[in-house]
Amino acid sequence: MVISPVLLIVVPLGLAFAIPLLGFISKRVVGFVPVLAMLFNLAVSLALLPVVLQKPEVVSIGGFSPPFCINLVAGPLGVGMAALIALVGLAVSVYALGYIKEGAQEKYHVLYLLLLTGATGAVLTGDIFNLFVFYEILCISSYALVAYLGDKNGIEAAVKYLIQGSVGSGLILIGIAILYGLFGTLNMAQIAQSIGVVDSLPLSVALALLVTGFGVEAAVFPLNAWLADAHSSAPSSISAILSGIAIKVGIYAVARVVFTIFGASSMFQFLLLLGLLTLLVGEMSAFKQDNIKRMLAYSSIGQVGLIVFAFGIGTSAGIIGGLFQIVSHALAKSVLFLAVGYMVYRAGSMEISSMEGMGKRMPVISFAFVIAAFSLVGLPPFTGFPSKFLIVRAALARQEMLFTVLISLVLVGTVIEGAYFFRVIQVLFFKGPEKDFAHREEAPLSALIPILILMILIVVLGIYPDSLMPVLKSAASELLDRVIYIKEVLG
Amino acid sequence: MRILISAILLTILVLGLAFALAEIPFGANQINSSLKPGRYYLENGVDETGAANVVTSVVVTYRGFDTLGEVTILFIAAIGLGAVLYTRRKQLPEVKPRSASLILQTGCRFLFPLILVFGAYIFIHGHLSPGGGFQGGVIVASAFLLVYLGCAERKIPRRGLSATESLAGLVFVTVGLLGLVYGGEFLQNFLPQGTVNTLFSAGVIPIIYIAIGFKVGAELTGVVADLLEKRQ
Amino acid sequence: MNVLYNSTYYVASVGLIVIGLYVMLVKKNLIKVLIGLSLFETGINLLLIAIGYIRHGTAPIFSQVDLRAENMVDPTPQALVLTAIVIGVAVLALALSLAVRLYEHYGTLNLREIRDLKW
Repeated sequence: MVISPVLLIVVPLGLAFAIPLLGFISKRVVGFVPVLAMLFNLAVSLALLPVVLQKPEVVSIGGFSPPFCINLVAGPLGVGMAALIALVGLAVSVYALGYIKEGAQEKYHVLYLLLLTGATGAVLTGDIFNLFVFYEILCISSYALVAYLGDKNGIEAAVKYLIQGSVGSGLILIGIAILYGLFGTLNMAQIAQSIGVVDSLPLSVALALLVTGFGVEAAVFPLNAWLADAHSSAPSSISAILSGIAIKVGIYAVARVVFTIFGASSMFQFLLLLGLLTLLVGEMSAFKQDNIKRMLAYSSIGQVGLIVFAFGIGTSAGIIGGLFQIVSHALAKSVLFLAVGYMVYRAGSMEISSMEGMGKRMPVISFAFVIAAFSLVGLPPFTGFPSKFLIVRAALARQEMLFTVLISLVLVGTVIEGAYFFRVIQVLFFKGPEKDFAHREEAPLSALIPILILMILIVVLGIYPDSLMPVLKSAASELLDRVIYIKEVLG
Repeated sequence: MRILISAILLTILVLGLAFALAEIPFGANQINSSLKPGRYYLENGVDETGAANVVTSVVVTYRGFDTLGEVTILFIAAIGLGAVLYTRRKQLPEVKPRSASLILQTGCRFLFPLILVFGAYIFIHGHLSPGGGFQGGVIVASAFLLVYLGCAERKIPRRGLSATESLAGLVFVTVGLLGLVYGGEFLQNFLPQGTVNTLFSAGVIPIIYIAIGFKVGAELTGVVADLLEKRQ
Repeated sequence: MNVLYNSTYYVASVGLIVIGLYVMLVKKNLIKVLIGLSLFETGINLLLIAIGYIRHGTAPIFSQVDLRAENMVDPTPQALVLTAIVIGVAVLALALSLAVRLYEHYGTLNLREIRDLKW
């Protein structure tokens, strides 16, 4: 049975509208609605994946044909990312059943589901203004969710995030305005087709504005000032979603603009250097932190730098490495934030030094933290190893001195990463207060189940990375091959 | 220092925009070929959708997905505002509002139904004249704002507003899904188009715009209420 | 100079964008920064509408039978601006609620003083 990819966006949206109505009937059941919606999304995207690997499915909304309507391009990249969003969203929504106990809970679940809907819509759409609208849905839900707990830090972080995010969105809109003025269309394929007919200076301006605007959410240097505050002050389930999904949608949008729409190979070197700079700034800042959530937030910035670096390599192998890194970082960082959520709750503070002996108090959670940390650093047999290995190999395959120098700097970043993670692991397991706690206070089941599922995936993908390769290869070629993309959409 | 950096960044922005806009002369006809969506909408909009207002047919039919996203964004803002202000309401003591002047008190009772009717007119006739769901909804919300300012002892039922919001959003999504079932694509028109320039024309467009009008009106009223009063 | 006169709307919209950004970058009071955000977004909307203008065009509404499509302006930017205005309103509403809570926590709206989250 062929299911229309539109349902990936519409069903969660409808369920999100229905949550307040369900809340009138029973407050307890609203937490399960995001779980159901993400289960549906996961099932549908996994069912669609084999179909779209051969040929992307172009869905036109409204019954007209592109470019006179908005179209969704459900290709391997879009459906693959939708599956990742559904998976991580499902895990965090199960976690939130036990974790979110205060505040207006019904509103939390509405905002959370809409954040995921915005992310799914952004990766599936084939129209640049539609991308902007869904990207805004993602951003505005995240502004509200960062401020959800209502505490001093959360509100301050949310205000700064909102102001910077809105400037970014405004720049995107100016870029779209210039593109529309030049080409008279908003369809990505039609714009890609018409580029080359026009003078290059206005195009460069539009490209710069779009990359800067989307780069705010992707948190590339120097636009990442908001991330450390926002990801550390949000409730931990939201930090997991922001680091795991929201940043990736920003990177996806930058990649889509640079590769598919503009085909701007002159940007590649810039992306390379920008990625490297972001990586080094992120990892070095993470090293200095005492606050564990801030440390993880800066680590996310570092990983974003690595992914952008991988995209900047410009070859298909580089993009495959970057996409694999997106998957492994989403899985590992989510586990890290989910585990830290309960560790902070038990310890009562976010300082690393207060986590002493947590390894004995919460063994499963601390073990999960260790596994995810190893994966992030890139140790086998976890999923971080094949992804980083692919990136290094893609860089060396270019056989230029520049790339060898750059990749060695990347490895320096990895070493710093290992240093600060091992410091935390040392505090968790090897430094313990001498008095032992009378009982192990493990985290509740609602937290353990999603963490275990994600951990299993981290290990499985680490041992069998080839299971993911067909999807990644098709996704990379969809991103790079503009001619085929234009032909699929416009006919 | 801050001013210097800002000045440099802004100068770069202005120069970039100036060079880009030099290629887009003001008033030039960019939609001269029928391959451009703008020309297509002007030439075929009325025949394909039945709405006399081409902007409405673009907003609701051709780019209806954007409108769905926009409605969602307003929903997020209203819910987010409620979530952020949630704990505040329980903490602050009840403050009796200052009573308004005599003109406002008499006027608000008289003007409230008139403004409501005006707002409803705007969103019902969205396919015939300039206007539509969002504009009409904002006018309806301003009527409720007048009530809050003028006759503050009247309480607006918050649960009713919340229910209206959600139901109207569901109506929009359902109409789209019905288009999927009966027409083949999401948001496809499945009602008869009728004659142009009459009230009952343009298929599903009036239904969607009425739903949007109710939704926006309820949402913005909720926003005003959250900012002004203490939750029951 | 003639070019500038012909493109008054472009100059006005870029001017609003620049003023809005300047206010957001330089001012200390949160409410002023939000006003700057509002100016910034208004400038962008004006730019979009101005790009869609066609000389001697009229509103794209077929209210009478003898109106022809060649005399009308581009309807797409108007639809885009409709969406953009609503997005701007939504962000502003959320920002103002955050400002209310921020004032309750800190007692001031001076952004230079609200730096609890340090480096």
